[in-house]
Amino acid sequence: MRGILSVLYRDSRIRFTNLAWLFWDLFVPIAYLLIFGLGFQRALGGELRLAGKLTDYTSFFLAGVLAMTTFGIAMNTSYSFFLERDSGIFYEWLTYPISRREYVLGKILFNLLLSLVGAGLVILLGAGLMSTHVRLRWMPITLLNVIVGTASWFFFFAIFALRIRRNDAFNSFTSICYIVLLFLSSMFYPLDPLPQWFKITAYLNPVTWQVDLLRFSLIGYGKAGVVMWESIAFLIFTLMAFAGAVRAVNRAGS
Amino acid sequence: MSSVIEVQNLMKLFPSKRGLGTRALDGISFEVKRGEIFGLLGPNGAGKSTLVRILTTITRPTSGTARIMGHDVVHSPLEARRHLAVVLQETAVEMLLTVRDNLLIYGHLHHQPSALIRQRMDSVLDRFGLREKQHEKVNDLSVGMRRRLQVAKVFMVDSPVVFLDEATTGMDPLIKRETLTLIREEARRGRTIFLTTQLLDEAEALCHRIIIINQGRIVASGDMEALRSLASRMFRVTLTLAHPTPAVYNTLRAWNPLSLDSEGNSVEMTFKGEESHLLAKMADLSSQCPIVRFEIRGADLEDIFVELLGAK
Repeated sequence: MRGILSVLYRDSRIRFTNLAWLFWDLFVPIAYLLIFGLGFQRALGGELRLAGKLTDYTSFFLAGVLAMTTFGIAMNTSYSFFLERDSGIFYEWLTYPISRREYVLGKILFNLLLSLVGAGLVILLGAGLMSTHVRLRWMPITLLNVIVGTASWFFFFAIFALRIRRNDAFNSFTSICYIVLLFLSSMFYPLDPLPQWFKITAYLNPVTWQVDLLRFSLIGYGKAGVVMWESIAFLIFTLMAFAGAVRAVNRAGS
Repeated sequence: MSSVIEVQNLMKLFPSKRGLGTRALDGISFEVKRGEIFGLLGPNGAGKSTLVRILTTITRPTSGTARIMGHDVVHSPLEARRHLAVVLQETAVEMLLTVRDNLLIYGHLHHQPSALIRQRMDSVLDRFGLREKQHEKVNDLSVGMRRRLQVAKVFMVDSPVVFLDEATTGMDPLIKRETLTLIREEARRGRTIFLTTQLLDEAEALCHRIIIINQGRIVASGDMEALRSLASRMFRVTLTLAHPTPAVYNTLRAWNPLSLDSEGNSVEMTFKGEESHLLAKMADLSSQCPIVRFEIRGADLEDIFVELLGAK
């Protein structure tokens, strides 16, 4: 437990004494909601027709911003992971009297807490300032999704942070992931009116699975059957990413 | 004295997609006793870092056993790590944290009580000349300062075994001297120091025992006297000549020294052979060119290192 708390303390000192990290972790998703969300809201004339029902764009987009928060925080942490391996401190951590499980758990716990803070800010801002309609009854499912989503993306990016050797290669990889996974998903727009190839690609994308469940729990949009299958797929993705991350940590020394 | 580090027939094979792979360690065995300063030497690629990474539980060996304070590094890595403090070859410091936070977190991670951490921090900040920089982020420090901090961390804790991999590389002479003094003090207190270095004079000055490895195998081991005996009949000669001419240098080269360096009127050479023959040659040389100064001494660690590894 002391090991987990030490990792937690160390990661929080790094994040809270280096404000650029916090800007990317917390401010960027809020900026998306405020600027991109409001811009599209106006461009669409204030209303969006989803499955025959009218809703506002910011309510639709809120789930996307929550997923973006978990994705961004996990990606930033994986970059710090990469830097730690690159400087050698990661290997020194492997010689400290804590187990590797405590090390990984400490890192995840910090990410989860940060994601929950980020998600809280986004929901408060959305519901308070922008009058988005949020289903409070489903909030535990929403927060559970935030937790699982953060862990999932952290595991996913950690695999590559521990494998890719060059800084430019890792930055390119995360940038490609950001563009491809976020924009080829249901994060920014409903998939129904889009071409068939786009829809098929989006439904193979774990970001879509996470966003669809978030959207279902937040505003009740989506077919329950489809969302259930997407949730199962996302859970399997998380477990596979976890197995891959543990394997990567264990192989990192060799 | 009891064994603190025990290594038996340790082997590490790095597989490769093409060919047989690399045998980084090839059946190494040795023991290190409590309170010893133990030196591990070898040329680049000899397997030193692989050995340190196995002993510090970062890497698993392919076969063989290694124990730290009786704990197997493969089967009980956490127990083994509880007895370690490690400085790795990389400049492994928390770049985004302050000097103070680096020391604080290191102490907490090694289960030190808060009061002791504060007390140790004061002493470490002073002895390593880090007090003025304690609130600065490591990212803003010079490479030498970062190295200083990295080494300072192991003096925050009481772990019985300390691994120092090229610890003084990049340090200025004053801090290096202070670090070597601290290492000796810690060994006197009963801590075991496992040192790898490319600086042979440092190893000679510090280590109670040394092993030299090459291509994953031990090529020599023992204390300095035992190593010197491996290079018996090897001498280092320093000459200052009154009027050196090209003919004099041709004469010196004709003696086939193992090494010959000259600067101004001074010449430094290494010979292998009988001391009486060497003295006779010097007498002949003095008739050709007056010798202002002449010094002859036995081989040092560098000569032994070159002798052992040069032949291979």
